[in-house]
Amino acid sequence: MAASASELRPEGEAGHGPPPRRLGISFGGDRAVRWVGFVFALLPAGGLLAVLAVLAVEAIPAIKLNGWGFFTHSVWNQGGGYNAVIVKTGGVAHLAGSQFGILAEIVGTLLTSAIALLIAVPVSVGAALVIVERLPRRLASLVGAFLELLAGVPSVVIGLWGVLTFGPFIAHDIAPWIARNFPDIPVLSYFTGSTGNGQGLLVSSLVLAVMVIPIVAATSRDLIRQVPILPREGAQALGMSDFETARRVTLPWVGSGIVGAVVLGLGRALGETIAVAMTCGFALGEIPGNLYGAMTTIAATIVNELDSAFGDASKFSVRSLAELALVLMVITLATNVVARLLVRRVSGTALPVGRGL
Amino acid sequence: MVGPALPTAPAKSPQSITETGSTLLFPLMGSWATDYQKLYTPSGGTPTVTITTGGTGSGTGITDASTGTVNIGASDAYLSSAQKSETPGLMNIALAISGQQISYNVPGVKKLNLDAATLTKIYTGKITNWNDPAIKAINPGASLPNLKIVTLHRADSSGDTFLFTSYLNAQDPAGWPAANVNTTISWPSVSGSLAETGNSGMVAGCAANKGCIAYIGISYLQKTEAAGLGEAFVKNGSGKFLQPTPATIKAGAAAFTSKTPASETISMINGPAPRGYAIINYEYAIVNTKQSNGPQAQDIRAFLHWIVHEGQDATTYLDPVDFQPLPSSVVTQSDAQIAKIGS
Repeated sequence: MAASASELRPEGEAGHGPPPRRLGISFGGDRAVRWVGFVFALLPAGGLLAVLAVLAVEAIPAIKLNGWGFFTHSVWNQGGGYNAVIVKTGGVAHLAGSQFGILAEIVGTLLTSAIALLIAVPVSVGAALVIVERLPRRLASLVGAFLELLAGVPSVVIGLWGVLTFGPFIAHDIAPWIARNFPDIPVLSYFTGSTGNGQGLLVSSLVLAVMVIPIVAATSRDLIRQVPILPREGAQALGMSDFETARRVTLPWVGSGIVGAVVLGLGRALGETIAVAMTCGFALGEIPGNLYGAMTTIAATIVNELDSAFGDASKFSVRSLAELALVLMVITLATNVVARLLVRRVSGTALPVGRGL
Repeated sequence: MVGPALPTAPAKSPQSITETGSTLLFPLMGSWATDYQKLYTPSGGTPTVTITTGGTGSGTGITDASTGTVNIGASDAYLSSAQKSETPGLMNIALAISGQQISYNVPGVKKLNLDAATLTKIYTGKITNWNDPAIKAINPGASLPNLKIVTLHRADSSGDTFLFTSYLNAQDPAGWPAANVNTTISWPSVSGSLAETGNSGMVAGCAANKGCIAYIGISYLQKTEAAGLGEAFVKNGSGKFLQPTPATIKAGAAAFTSKTPASETISMINGPAPRGYAIINYEYAIVNTKQSNGPQAQDIRAFLHWIVHEGQDATTYLDPVDFQPLPSSVVTQSDAQIAKIGS
């Protein structure tokens, strides 16, 4: 018994001398403690699997009926009007005339996250470099503390700020200027046109950027701290400028780790719900026509459509929302796994990955 | 009038009743619940009946009532035929009469006439400016500014969206098909349009955007007036342009009183009364005829009975939210439905 315990915990002390009694509490022997610990250790994994399983079971009828069309069009219609009757297609009950497509949601989710990263990554990596290499120690820890505080601000607070202050400011003072100064040629014409009213793609993306910056910056800072001083000093001794040192020595040293940090930020941006729901303008089924247009994301659609879906007596709307949630979960799980793999490759130590999440 | 099946007092044993649903009805439901609870609280003692209320949205209220999560679901919309066929025990019991205003934020325009055909064109993006000839045609003599129209609609599931789209479809079925009548719909793409959450979001959004047009529950009348929003004259079923006032809402509802069926499932949109407002509705309690136990069923019956009688008091309950009381024949119909609640 003792031998197997020591095998389970190679760094433990179970096999040496009398068993430790540090807690001073008896749980009724090692065996009980081990079983309780075992169950607790498996709880998170079990929870994740349970969520996935329940979601999948709920979504299966929707997956069957919606088919691939779910991903190729943008019409979200519970049924042909309020008094539509329940019909069965292929054994699945739904309201007559219902149609569910999430192309706009997928485009909206990817677009907001991409724009957010485009803004957040240079800012975050730049901030991390400056914090580690340039700022005096005290100021650096102060700036770092503020970064972590920013990561801890609840997203609903950032969303409220986005709706009340930031959105109108962008719509009245920033967006018109951008729209005026961009040429009306393909691609760039996406920056021109009606500047909306403070709720839409640009504001949602900027709000997301504010939430992604602390994650990417804090993780990058911890990574850059691990770059030994000698190669950096060597580069300077060879006559490299600060910028060249950063570009050729520091960043390549932790390159894939920073990619990991960025993917971690991406995971946050993809799944962020309430701040986006508050600032996106919630245009169900609409792919924004320009940078300022009202739009929606997967997460925002789920939160905004849930009550309405409950009103669908065939329950098919709820099942379609479950399928939508499954799509989001798969996307974010995949990005999270990739992020962890990339960050781990850089260092074997336990990095504060996911701080602020 | 009321049979012995309808108790006027709660059961002796302490019970708790739960209510969720319509955010429009939520404030009123709260004051009803508080006062009713007080009635049956012995001085210094614990209440005989505890009522908890929640503003979750009508859709959630209906689902919660049908699954038995709560006892009473509040809804601005009657049960759809699909909901009734799924849960045959569900009833919609009329509690009060509500209406909907069409608000606008157009500086300098004191009086504005609107009809469904024009609103349909606005909400489908065919009319984009307040000085459009189609708006001028129904507003002779008004000076309409050159101002872009900002259409507002609800982002969340809403009985108000159901009422508004019902009105558009009732007067202009060609322009606004029945498929687009629901508590949430895929809105036609209109440049610059905004989605707002809740009636308060609509009020704030309309106040913040010059050129706005919005549909807002009548219970927010004091807030829209405080925000300086205009209240449109809406064309009714007999071609008259009217504002929602106590008199026009009452007159509009009166035309439907005798038509209200025993199930109280009826749309009162676009009614025939010449002096009646066009966008009005019953506010409903959604209740399952089968409750989990007898004393609780008795409490629900007693509470709802109190609402359709004492709870109709204008100064205490209905005036603050600009609702109108039920006509007496509808009260009788509500009582008949309430009497069916059992265990």
